[in-house]
Amino acid sequence: MLFLQVALNGILLGGLYACMAISFSLIWGVLNIINLAHGSMMLVGAYVTYTLHSRFGLDPVLTIPFSATALFVFAYVLQRLVFNRVVMTSIFLTLILTFGLDMMLINFNIAMFTADVRSITTWYSGAALEIGGIRLAYTRILVFALALAMTLALYVFLKWSRVGHAIRAVAQDPNAAQVMGVNTQRVYAVTFGLGAAMAGATGSLLTIVYAFSPVIGDPFTLKSFVVVILGGLGNMFGALLAGIFLGVAENIVSAFIHPGYRDAVSFCLLVAILVLRPTGFLGRRSYADSRA
Amino acid sequence: MVGAVIPPPRTASARRAVALAATLSVAAIVLLFAPMVVSPYWMRILSMAFMFGTLAQALNLIAGFAGYPAFGNVVFFGLGAYSTAVVMVKLGGSFAAGLCVAVLVSLATVLIVGPPLLRLRGHYFAIATVGLNEMVKALASNLDALTGGGMGLSLPLPPWNPAETAKVFYYLLLGTMTTSILITVWFKSSRLGHACRAIRDDEVKAEAMGLRTTTIKTFAWALSAMLTGLVGAIYAYWFSYVEPPAVFDMLIAIKSFVMFLLGGAATLLGPIAAAFFVEFVSDALWSHLLHFHLGALGLGIVLIALYMPHGFVRFFRDRGQTLVMLFRKQG
Repeated sequence: MLFLQVALNGILLGGLYACMAISFSLIWGVLNIINLAHGSMMLVGAYVTYTLHSRFGLDPVLTIPFSATALFVFAYVLQRLVFNRVVMTSIFLTLILTFGLDMMLINFNIAMFTADVRSITTWYSGAALEIGGIRLAYTRILVFALALAMTLALYVFLKWSRVGHAIRAVAQDPNAAQVMGVNTQRVYAVTFGLGAAMAGATGSLLTIVYAFSPVIGDPFTLKSFVVVILGGLGNMFGALLAGIFLGVAENIVSAFIHPGYRDAVSFCLLVAILVLRPTGFLGRRSYADSRA
Repeated sequence: MVGAVIPPPRTASARRAVALAATLSVAAIVLLFAPMVVSPYWMRILSMAFMFGTLAQALNLIAGFAGYPAFGNVVFFGLGAYSTAVVMVKLGGSFAAGLCVAVLVSLATVLIVGPPLLRLRGHYFAIATVGLNEMVKALASNLDALTGGGMGLSLPLPPWNPAETAKVFYYLLLGTMTTSILITVWFKSSRLGHACRAIRDDEVKAEAMGLRTTTIKTFAWALSAMLTGLVGAIYAYWFSYVEPPAVFDMLIAIKSFVMFLLGGAATLLGPIAAAFFVEFVSDALWSHLLHFHLGALGLGIVLIALYMPHGFVRFFRDRGQTLVMLFRKQG
């Protein structure tokens, strides 16, 4: 019974991981940038939620549009002014550039909100669904459902909207897309903005179930990477499965082996996957792929 | 007959070699005698610059020459530091023994993880090394009996007075940095160095030419790791204390990475010069921008990536050429 409880909590956590990883993989797959500031962008979203909640008493779920919009604008401008200069150049540059950005965001969060650990308590925080001795907190179920909904929304957007088509065309072949009249610079900016907006929204979800501080971003970035390679880059369904897998594995290790090794699970998985099967367990696809 | 009187024109490379040798000997003399005149504050900054110079040079071997972005190379720094700490605290060994074990542990780690990880390229390799660092860090934080866990380990204090201690570590780190330069001099013209550059330019072709790429890459990474481990070991005794967040700090990796990029990949003295530059600048910043130090450092990194993607030597050469052209147009 304990095992089932732990596994179910892992699945619910996995929804959050999947949501976080899909935005990471969108940026990676289309712009070829490993966004090392991903975790910190999530935390910026989390602090937007925290501010709106503590100042105006807004429910965390209702703050999602605000955090997503804020991050979208920030990332869109950043991409137009800065990152477009280095897209498709050496990975040395994109890596240190996003790390520099990460440091600036961490410093910004500390300066604005101090390094204290924060958490948000809502009126439904303590409640839980009980089925045959298993307790599932409503907050976790809510976060799981919202994470799934956002993932699905992104899928629909990429598959059927006009901008989504442009993004997939650029991912497939930037030069050909440009010849066909797509403004690739703008598509890059929109993609980076979308990825960041989703990171911000994930950050808002995070506040409902996690305590957070400005410095906890980097493990989330690494976990995003793990989920993406486990599920295959550009494979959204894969990312969902991989996120759930990571969530379950982490919870099991933490409950039955040692809580201190919780984060080590993802890093061991990372090295193991890369060594055994660098294309992920479901194979690599790109956003250009119509099945993606 | 004229040829016998006028010395044959020296080639550009020969002239550059003479200039390099002159600069190096002047720098060597200045650095050798510096401890007699400079303040303890500058002794410390210079020692840190030597430390980062070695780290950047070590990174240059695997990332600059072979083109493998070992982003998480700091794992060997941490392994070296912890090896020394464990040898000295748990086994009662000497500092020299600690240094040897640190180098051997780094070497052994590369021999084990190198062949599988070096099959990966680009982003995958970069992040895999970060994962390796986080994995070892998690082990160091949790194997309480061996490493003291999150509490860290306190090393025995060096047996000299503070002024002597500062000098010892100054010369130790200067020696290590010199060793890293000598290794690079040898590496640059060795078969191994040429093979690494062939791999960097086109790995498939290099393999088709009969190079055993995995062995070559592993060897280059091993050299890099041993130097990094050695520096980590010296750091542990110098600071007398190791704990996981301090010695497996990604910031150390990023700083050496920036220095290596700023100095110019696969150059001999670029990474060293950049290490001095970045250390001096970040120290000057540190005293003025206590609350925004991290952000300022991040901004500096972003600016370097944007405006000096090929290092400052290229940057100033290009700017110099633009100036020359401007003058020519006007004249």
